[in-house]
Amino acid sequence: MLDIQQIAKTFHAGTPNEVRALRGVDLKIEPGSFVILIGTNGSGKSTLLNAVAGSFLVDTGRLKLNGREITRWPEHRRAQFIGRVFQNPFTGTAPSMTIAENLALAAKRGRTRGLGWALSSSTKNDLRERIRAMGLGLEDRLDNAIGSLSGGQRQSLTLLMAGLLKPDLLLLDEHTAALDPKSADQVIRLTEEFIRRDRLTTLMVTHSMHQAAHLGDRLIMMVRGRVHHDFQGAEKRRLTPENLLARFEEVRRADQLDETAAEMLGRQYV
Amino acid sequence: MSLLVGSFTMGLILSLLALGVLVSFRILAFRDLTVDGSIALGGAVAATLLVAGWNPWLATAAACLAGALAGTVTGVLATRFQINGLLAGILVMTALYSVNLRVMGKSNLPLMKEQTIITMAQRFAASDARWSFSRWEVPVQDVAIVAMISLLIGLVAVTMYAFFRTNLGLAMRASGDNEQMIRALGVEVGWMTTFGLALSNGLVALAGALLVQYQGFADVQMGIGMVVWGFASVIIGESLVGSRQIGLLLVGAVMGSILFRLLVAIALRWGLNPNDLKLVTALFVFAALVLPGAIAIVRKHFAQRSSPLAS
Repeated sequence: MLDIQQIAKTFHAGTPNEVRALRGVDLKIEPGSFVILIGTNGSGKSTLLNAVAGSFLVDTGRLKLNGREITRWPEHRRAQFIGRVFQNPFTGTAPSMTIAENLALAAKRGRTRGLGWALSSSTKNDLRERIRAMGLGLEDRLDNAIGSLSGGQRQSLTLLMAGLLKPDLLLLDEHTAALDPKSADQVIRLTEEFIRRDRLTTLMVTHSMHQAAHLGDRLIMMVRGRVHHDFQGAEKRRLTPENLLARFEEVRRADQLDETAAEMLGRQYV
Repeated sequence: MSLLVGSFTMGLILSLLALGVLVSFRILAFRDLTVDGSIALGGAVAATLLVAGWNPWLATAAACLAGALAGTVTGVLATRFQINGLLAGILVMTALYSVNLRVMGKSNLPLMKEQTIITMAQRFAASDARWSFSRWEVPVQDVAIVAMISLLIGLVAVTMYAFFRTNLGLAMRASGDNEQMIRALGVEVGWMTTFGLALSNGLVALAGALLVQYQGFADVQMGIGMVVWGFASVIIGESLVGSRQIGLLLVGAVMGSILFRLLVAIALRWGLNPNDLKLVTALFVFAALVLPGAIAIVRKHFAQRSSPLAS
């Protein structure tokens, strides 16, 4: 399905702000699996997601999706296979356009857009049913500008839009981090529902240990631009938020040890 | 009265400019300065072809295409070569000045006896026919011109309205509204911007072509300040319709252009020095940009002072 081979990315290379965000990531994702991606700040988890989405091209390594080599494909070309929800609820929708228009845009994800009506009455009815099924009460507000909705509503709609044409891969980038707890719960409920119903292959970045422990069937922990641990099957099912926090603590200690050790060696030999 | 009809007709013709500016400024959120060059380009191409004996409709269509080409160049500079949008527009506008001189062969090209869209409209009425409304008398020929141009602009506006409701048109609007979102939905924003700029400058050049036929000459200087003019029309239009809905924006731009032209005519009638016109226009746009914010601050200030809690 998704095959990530040894990808690396350095931002601002050769400047004082150089960041080695990804340092050789290898990851194979099976069709239909729901993979959670966690890591400390700057561990490269969002960068990995963006590398797959094509927000930038990787420096080295290869990306394959469904057997197709997509390493050099620009973002808009990858969109035909990939549905996305962003951290910022405002990123996923066009604010001055109506709910119906936004959905109509998503109904053509990755396809040729010609001079056919975007919102024929049959399309509009279809879209209304899809919104009704979400149970947000937005089905009667199809002609309202999306900018007038709350962050939670917008994020729910972005999720619907990402899955409107069944994507080969769904990318969720901390998509509940900017929401209030109630909206976040609702968006998570919808996320689980969509993924289960369409058996979507999903890669989800999260900050929440709770989400990380309870969602998905596989969990990747990233540290300093590399895959640190890969929890699968029974090991993943047994995980609790406390286990995960303990793991992070371990990583933090190991980091400190590394630095002092390096310092000591430096003193002795330089 | 004929001054009023003349201003109305001018406003109507320049509403095509306003519609073009609406596409670049508002829909694509691209500050496109090509406009000053492309309106003159439209005029130059139309006048040259008319003098060469072309059919007026064909000459006008060719002018429109030339404008679209100019917009495409700006789009390519901005999106493929990653030049800042303002600068890309300035480069093309500057280059067009020479292009326009080349097209016309001189800086001013009068239309004498050439058949134009305007003369075609005039032929619907006898030259001495008058319509009178109470104290006012209007030559029927002038009314025929207004009718012909209104028809044309109605056609353009309806086509634009329809276009912006197609899948392609929706994608173009989204490109200006949320670039990241539409890219994630598989649209190449650079191409969409280029296409939009072609559309925008095609409309602007169409305005230039009609303007030349109406005033009876093309001049290489005719584009100076036109982008600000278009912007003023769009701003007035927005405040008239008070909505960001696409249909109302289109209607607003047309109404804004006519109203602005009438205001200018009245100001000139009251003794405004024509040399000061561009200064006044610029001041007007400045005020239109700043006033809404300033009024909000003043209102807030007074609301606080009058509230019992603050006193």
